[in-house]
Amino acid sequence: MIPILFALATSALPADGTLAIRARAVWTGTSVLENAVVVVEDGRIRAVGTDVDVPDDAELLEHDGVLTAGLVALHGASGALGETTDTTRPALPEARMGLAVDRRAQDFLVLQTAGITSVLVTPDPSGITNGTSALVRTADGRAIVDPAHLSLVFSPQGLSGNREPTSHAGALALFETLFAESKGVVADAKAGRLPCLFEVRERDDVLRAIAFARTKKLTGALHGAQLSGELSEPIRASGLAVIVPALGVGTPKRTLDAVARLHKDGVAFGFGLDAPWNHADALRLSAVLCTRAGLDRSAAWRALTADAARIAGAGDRLGRIERGLEADLVLWSGDPLDLSSRAVTVVANGAAKDVGVAQEARR
Amino acid sequence: MNVITIALLAAAAQDQESRAWTIHAERIYTGTGRNLERGAVVVANGKINAVTPDAGGDGDKPRDQLKAYAVTAGLVDAGVRVTNWFSVEQSVEVTPHLRVADALDPFALEWDRQVRSGVTTALVSPVDRNVIGGLSVVLKTAGPESIAARTLKADAALRGSMGSDPSNGNRPAFGRPTTIYARRPTTRMGVEWEWRNAFFLAAEQRGSKDPGTSTLVAALQGKMPIFVQAWTTQDIRTAVFLREEVESRPEFDGMDTPRFVIDAAAEAWKEPQLLARSKTPVVLPPFPADGRTREGAAMAWNVAKVLEDAGVPFALSSHGSADPSSRLGVQAGYAMAGGIGFESALAAVTTTPAKLLGVDDRVGTIEAGKDADLVLWSGEPFQPGSRVLATIVDGVLRYDGGTVQGASEAR
Repeated sequence: MIPILFALATSALPADGTLAIRARAVWTGTSVLENAVVVVEDGRIRAVGTDVDVPDDAELLEHDGVLTAGLVALHGASGALGETTDTTRPALPEARMGLAVDRRAQDFLVLQTAGITSVLVTPDPSGITNGTSALVRTADGRAIVDPAHLSLVFSPQGLSGNREPTSHAGALALFETLFAESKGVVADAKAGRLPCLFEVRERDDVLRAIAFARTKKLTGALHGAQLSGELSEPIRASGLAVIVPALGVGTPKRTLDAVARLHKDGVAFGFGLDAPWNHADALRLSAVLCTRAGLDRSAAWRALTADAARIAGAGDRLGRIERGLEADLVLWSGDPLDLSSRAVTVVANGAAKDVGVAQEARR
Repeated sequence: MNVITIALLAAAAQDQESRAWTIHAERIYTGTGRNLERGAVVVANGKINAVTPDAGGDGDKPRDQLKAYAVTAGLVDAGVRVTNWFSVEQSVEVTPHLRVADALDPFALEWDRQVRSGVTTALVSPVDRNVIGGLSVVLKTAGPESIAARTLKADAALRGSMGSDPSNGNRPAFGRPTTIYARRPTTRMGVEWEWRNAFFLAAEQRGSKDPGTSTLVAALQGKMPIFVQAWTTQDIRTAVFLREEVESRPEFDGMDTPRFVIDAAAEAWKEPQLLARSKTPVVLPPFPADGRTREGAAMAWNVAKVLEDAGVPFALSSHGSADPSSRLGVQAGYAMAGGIGFESALAAVTTTPAKLLGVDDRVGTIEAGKDADLVLWSGEPFQPGSRVLATIVDGVLRYDGGTVQGASEAR
């Protein structure tokens, strides 16, 4: 039953030709346009505005709702469940998550129904590094950025009782050995060509990661410490961004306040989703919970889109609705920061796909 | 408001620069041999400015006034465990150059507990799971939220262990070894062999750039003390004989002046003359209620008295125990109950550990110029009816038990 419904859900408008969408509101990422038109051609945004003419040959979608850039979920194992780790060896910097992704995994359709158009697939933090992350488009499971980061683990998750390192000091010694290398992804990270994904959990892990990033002059983002915001000043000084792990209904106020502090102190952040373990809607829920605790709405939205795209290495390609950017778009039934709204249609690779049917199938 | 809430409030205000304080007390136990009755300790800029017979000399500078029955220097605990299993690299038996500081969490709640019990300086060591576990660090128990900023002395000691701790659990229950735990000694003699092997290899390879070797060479040259955990008399003997071997064998010429400290020396009372002869100081673990400590070692109430009589320098410690009776101030009281005097007990929790750790130029006594690390007591220190009213670290009031605030009225 479910496979048939998923098959229905994949019925889409043709990718060739021009697509035009007229929506009641268009959130470009920098402004809100009423009754505006977005024209998509060859998978890219050709025009956006309230005075844009719909080309004669264009397929026109009229939408009584909100049109936005697609959401970017940072962190998780979508399409690669069970393939994100090798627990027998402490360091596998050259392992590529981009090669582990099953493009036809059902995970991606589930993400699309939540308005997520790209997802960062990340190595498991079960060694000091399990390789590189990849930003993957949910429409086709293909990599947008690969490699996106070199994963470096500073939390105790990277330590093991059965092989080296068993200690933080041992891990640092291994990192030093690793960074003595001058080839491959490590060399790219050292030269600033490849950002790093620093896996942390507690605040002391954050301090350890920042110190290492400083000595090696590394760029990238810290993932996994819910209270990162309490260290927003040293984080800002380090130049690193933050990926906040998905928040839930029971998330303490202290954690929500810490996220607000990231914004207040000028640290760029996005949300990790950790699908498929977490429900795809947990991404939007995370941002909404933060707004309820006082985070600025526009900052929450950027954390789901433009800032997340930048953290994933695609800031010049995704995350906003602007001429020339790739057209990963979502048509929402209403305000996407209102949880009663849902994704109706997702546009990617120049094709529009009704995801409402798939949502029915997920019930 | 309970004590913890108050402590948190004090912590919240901690980022303020250290204030100027005048602490009035009936008794000021300076630790220098010259105590004062009805005096004041004047603190400014994180240092002790003056110790005066009364509160005079304030001039027109506004000061916060604190009152207590007695004041001592902040306590120094040579055995604080704010660490966990991640503090020692168990994939190898001997890791002299690895630093416990890399594993420390400045946000751990244990720090607050130390401050509330009057401990202001702590030696933190790797967990005793390796034969030679690595480098210990001396740090303040309160201060900025960074281990580096709190560090009083990095690489303060080389830490290792005799006895069964490093040989416990290192083999599979049956079958062929599948994990790192099969790689290490399973007996006391194996542990001892690892020590000697490490020392002789370091002697052979002196000059090597290998960080482990150069750390061992520095330790054998006495540039840092070697803290050896040894609970039982046989392990204490092993450590002392190892030291004497280093001092006498020609292989160690030029690196034959190690400074051994026996840690957790519960059975030091059995052969105090051995320790006196080799001039080896000891750190005692907490007194056990039933006379038995770890490793089945026997520890009597008078062990401190026996060591004092034999002329063996000793420090008291909590040895990582979270038991309330293991707090350093309580331990000092127990040692007094075992026969030593107040000044001797005070020295065992302040000046002696400060000297062993090489930080006695900064902490351990109440003297002008020393760090303003102070404990305010409700009564005679270490007595069962007395408690810590407040703790000041580097001039900042880090714990306020709520009753020292004669401050408001005195202002």
